[in-house]
Amino acid sequence: MSALGAKPAAAGGMDPMASAIGVVILLVVIAATYMLAGTGMALMALIGVIVGGVLVGFGVHFVPVGGAPAAMGQAPGIATGVAMLAAGAGLAGLFGGAWAAGQGLVIAVITGGIGGGLMMAITCMFVNFIYVFGMGIPSASGKVAKDPITGDTQAEFKSQGTEGHGLPFISYVGGVIGGTLGGAGGTLIYIMLLDIYQAELPAMMDALPAQILPIAVSLAGIFAIGMFLVNAVLAAYNITGTIEGPHDPKFKRFPRAIVASAVASAVCGMVAIMIVAI
Amino acid sequence: MSVKVEVIEGGVPHNTILAAGLVASLVCIYLSYASTFLGAPWMAFFGGLAAVAALVWGSHTIKHLCSYGIGTGVPSAGMMAFGSGVIAMLFATKFGIMAPIVAVVLAAVIGAILGFVANNILNMRIPVMIMSLVEMAIIGALVLMGFSAQIAGTFELMGLLSGSISILGLSLPSYQVSLIGGCLIATAFMLGGIAIQHPFNACLGPSWTQDRMLYLAAECGFLSMIPVAVMSMAIIPMGPALLSLIVALIGWYYTYAKYIELSKRDAYDWLDSKPIPELEGH
Repeated sequence: MSALGAKPAAAGGMDPMASAIGVVILLVVIAATYMLAGTGMALMALIGVIVGGVLVGFGVHFVPVGGAPAAMGQAPGIATGVAMLAAGAGLAGLFGGAWAAGQGLVIAVITGGIGGGLMMAITCMFVNFIYVFGMGIPSASGKVAKDPITGDTQAEFKSQGTEGHGLPFISYVGGVIGGTLGGAGGTLIYIMLLDIYQAELPAMMDALPAQILPIAVSLAGIFAIGMFLVNAVLAAYNITGTIEGPHDPKFKRFPRAIVASAVASAVCGMVAIMIVAI
Repeated sequence: MSVKVEVIEGGVPHNTILAAGLVASLVCIYLSYASTFLGAPWMAFFGGLAAVAALVWGSHTIKHLCSYGIGTGVPSAGMMAFGSGVIAMLFATKFGIMAPIVAVVLAAVIGAILGFVANNILNMRIPVMIMSLVEMAIIGALVLMGFSAQIAGTFELMGLLSGSISILGLSLPSYQVSLIGGCLIATAFMLGGIAIQHPFNACLGPSWTQDRMLYLAAECGFLSMIPVAVMSMAIIPMGPALLSLIVALIGWYYTYAKYIELSKRDAYDWLDSKPIPELEGH
């Protein structure tokens, strides 16, 4: 009766025509930013934002998102939606990276990655504690016969009528990789925007750089959160809600998510940069 | 009852809600601009009312989109709305009095591109996807602009970036005591995000009724308006901030009472029980 539980019939393949239009939009946005802003710095910032957005969109594919079936122990993964998980991992990474923003780009991005990965590692561990000791179910994947890393067989642990349950080792590893990529991507977006705001805002506001710092940090932060959520939700649309981790067949859909994230980040990034550049 | 979730039976058609929400929201945002002529931002509470109008429209758009089964849960649509809306809204504030109009146009462009990306590149193939994401981006931008106007008393970029702090009777300009410098906008972002995703998430199901969901949306909007009014005390004078708080409390109480009444109407039966039973009955 209800269409709410139904999954849309998203095919695995890419639509070449739509992807071509997407790439054209991407190139037009990059060219327009260069023409309007007229500085190499704005262009570099936009490229950084696009790379960051792609990292976020790609990273979401690794995270074992279980949704409501996982909460009932009928599917593997963490029992919540992509938007919540990605926001948690990405914002944890963003806060970590923002602390290290003064240490230079590389250290800040790595710190952000570690922050996101740590957050996912802790989440996955306690999710498994609750599954194993609280709900009394073993961890088993329904999508593969053997765990690709440990080689453990899965079928004998899987309950009948379910798609697997708990958080198998590969899903845990996927969660940590996804959190790391997401945190690093979110931090890269933040650092790129922070740099351009710190450079441009003093002239625009006619104030000292030290006075401008809270505004630059806040603007970069809110734009980074906005872009992070847009990319995470687009990636969630790509995997139609649930995924087990990197071993899931849905993982092979990631190329179109990369195109999608690049286009979305380019459009949002251009607007975010134009707020100071024109 | 055999009402199908995916079909809106009876009630107000979606396009009417769209038009009413858009017009009411824009008019209320512009009414908040009138405080420029009053000396103090007495009209700031109209910003909150604009946000409530947009949220009511937004909850219906989410119903429209999510009845196709996007597979990612209802909250993701709200996050998408505000993620794209905040970008359009902040850029639009550069344009002074034209800001609300620019925000609507720019949000529509961003929403259309995101809709194209989701529908064609990601192969979602949902008929209302592009239109819904356009609406969601506009709603996100209008809600944030409304809350910003309520907190800062203005929707112009300079007013949002800089505030004033009084030390020993001297009024000094300060960038930290402002909507963006203090990052109050992040709180407004989440308050709006929660308010937009909750109504349909709470009311969906076979016994969904339109008026109940819309009252819940208004209730969530006024509930978010209460902390926004409290935050505005830091930036605008106490009088207008208290006025916003009173308007929000009255609006919240009315819509909450109405929602409870409609819930009892739609329920098969109801029983007033204590929240925590005193004795475990085995």
